[in-house]
Amino acid sequence: MASETDYVTLISKDGFSYVVQRSSARISPVLKRMLDPTGAFLEAKDNTCILQDMPGIVLEKVCEYFYYNEKNKDARDVPEMDIPTELCLELLMASDYLDI
Amino acid sequence: MSGRRGGNRIRGPQSALTDFLAANNISAAQIRDDYERRRREAEQDAGNAGEGPSNAATEQTEDEALAVAAQAEEAEKKSKKRKRTEEEAIDKIKKAKATKKGKGKGKKKGKKDDLDDDNDDDADYDDDFGMYKKAKPVPGQLEHCDICNKRFTVTPYSKEGPDGGLLCAPCGKELSKDLKKEQRAVTKAASTGKKRRKVESDRLDGIAVGGAKSLSQLCIQKVAQHHDDIEELGDLPQSVLERLSEIFSKKRVMKSKTLPLFLRPDLDSVVVHDAAYLEEEDYQQIFAIVPNVRKLVLSNTCQLKDGAIDYMLERCHDLRHIQLYAANLVQEGMWHRLFREAGAKLEVLKLKWLDAAFEDLVVRDMVKYCPNLERLKLKLCRRLGEDAVVSISDLPELKHLSLQISQDVSTPTLVNLIEKRGSGLQTLSLEKFIDADDSVLEAIHENCTQLSKLRLSENDTVTDAGYTALFTDWDNWPLTFADFNSTRDIDNNNSEGPEDAIGLASSGFRALMEHSGAALKHLNIASCRHIELSAFMDVFNGAQNYPLLEHINLSFCNRADTSVVAGIFKSCPALKQLVAFGCFDVQDVVVPRNVALIGVPRAQDAIEQFGIGIGVDEAISRMVEVAA
Repeated sequence: MASETDYVTLISKDGFSYVVQRSSARISPVLKRMLDPTGAFLEAKDNTCILQDMPGIVLEKVCEYFYYNEKNKDARDVPEMDIPTELCLELLMASDYLDI
Repeated sequence: MSGRRGGNRIRGPQSALTDFLAANNISAAQIRDDYERRRREAEQDAGNAGEGPSNAATEQTEDEALAVAAQAEEAEKKSKKRKRTEEEAIDKIKKAKATKKGKGKGKKKGKKDDLDDDNDDDADYDDDFGMYKKAKPVPGQLEHCDICNKRFTVTPYSKEGPDGGLLCAPCGKELSKDLKKEQRAVTKAASTGKKRRKVESDRLDGIAVGGAKSLSQLCIQKVAQHHDDIEELGDLPQSVLERLSEIFSKKRVMKSKTLPLFLRPDLDSVVVHDAAYLEEEDYQQIFAIVPNVRKLVLSNTCQLKDGAIDYMLERCHDLRHIQLYAANLVQEGMWHRLFREAGAKLEVLKLKWLDAAFEDLVVRDMVKYCPNLERLKLKLCRRLGEDAVVSISDLPELKHLSLQISQDVSTPTLVNLIEKRGSGLQTLSLEKFIDADDSVLEAIHENCTQLSKLRLSENDTVTDAGYTALFTDWDNWPLTFADFNSTRDIDNNNSEGPEDAIGLASSGFRALMEHSGAALKHLNIASCRHIELSAFMDVFNGAQNYPLLEHINLSFCNRADTSVVAGIFKSCPALKQLVAFGCFDVQDVVVPRNVALIGVPRAQDAIEQFGIGIGVDEAISRMVEVAA
């Protein structure tokens, strides 16, 4: 069984891969379960998740959101993250899929 | 020569070149100064990084990717450079004033310097030709407008054009109007006071208690902001679509243009919380595009008429859930027809704010034709009265009943209703039945065993003894939702209430918590002001544990004080929201993490206070310190 690495890789539909910290990817319950080392998923063994439906730009914003969320967890009056208008509908679908 | 005596500032030419320049109203001294300054800045800027995109990133730290950190550095440098340029602009203005040129000249030079700084070559190029650039003419001279090329007289107030020259009065006015509009847009976008209020308003809505918002929330807000530009919503799942429609309704942009975004043939529910702008064609469009609709929720449907209902009955044969609030243009005949034709499958019916067309007879028809009705909510329908309640008692499948009837309903009728339907009821909500008395509670005690939500509010007849009797030895399992707000004696001459308390008071409250404490999620005892401090202390004393209690409202229970609130924090580990308006003995509360305390005032504090990331025990110990 592979030991828990600090970083995991997320790969988008068009082949872009993003390396993020495991703690931030775990903000999404979907990814958390996929990467759980006690589970038998392939993703947990490789520490890699392939997201078939997400284009690279959307996945990039998602990764940015992971860090924004983790950083501001205990803060108050958090300034909102900027979301470009063209992306927001696809990002909405991605956020619904990832449950974040 | 004799002219040069004390105070005369006219000097003779120093050289032939200066003479020539002066004849063309160009000041050699000024040109020299500007050149020196430009050279200085060019040297300083050679050491700086080039212009990066001005990202207003000030809050990102080492956690972010390096690129973003580099951008932040550049933004800092740019702001430093901007500050320096500003200082120099001020110097220029002062100098310009000293040499009797207009203020515009200082600004003009400032702009030119910015452009020059971008490119060293430009600076050199300008150097050679600087002396040929026409200087700003002195007020009093004639000049051609930069924009419209009209001739006008230069005044100290002449505005500066985009190319650097001066503008005539009308062009100048237009330019300043445009500038002002831009400035206003910028300040509006950046107003921090508004942002804070918005954050607090979101918190009161329960959207974000501490920490960052969810990505879905952020995206939905963005979509709502740009509702005008959206062509279609694509394949969003139904739950997201409903959230979006809620936000659109809240912002009052649910109109003929945006409605089609939410209509797809494969949907089985149409939820529009604000249909005030929708007209006849829009309703027909709904039923045309979504014929398989099973759940129809239309609030504020002021423009819904018979024709639309007619079309609906024609097209939609699968309606299970109908919720029409404020559909006052629908005629009585059409209501009868609706129940006759669509009643067989109807399971949920919620109607509010109905007026002349909805009378007791219609309710009788409804009961006759809708045998499968499980959920019924009839509130604020002006014409309904006793007969309606009698009819409702005959609904065989009724599980959830919510009534608010303005006309008088006699107590025996209510008792009859509960006796007939009580055994199947899971929800019972009776609001504003002012004269209902203890016999109603007895009926509930005898007949209801499956209740999980009970509301009896705005009543001043039921006694505390009645409540105690209800909750003692009651066969019903523990309630999850208990709402007894505004049950108290209303007698302005006797503010303490009678000896035998009316409304939910100490013993009733104790009995309620004893019976339902283990499963209770929502507790609303607002305005039950006869509950004594001792009762609060017995119920919320830290030793008792209410594991599921999330929302408590004890507004206007003026006997509650800070120790009660501390006890609540201790006893309710799952607490999310505590509303305590009008509890004047509650002061100096330290709120633990994840809890929102609303309504505890000190003049200078915010009306809501939010947990500041500390645990319950620490919060309580801090409160004890403060009190000591």
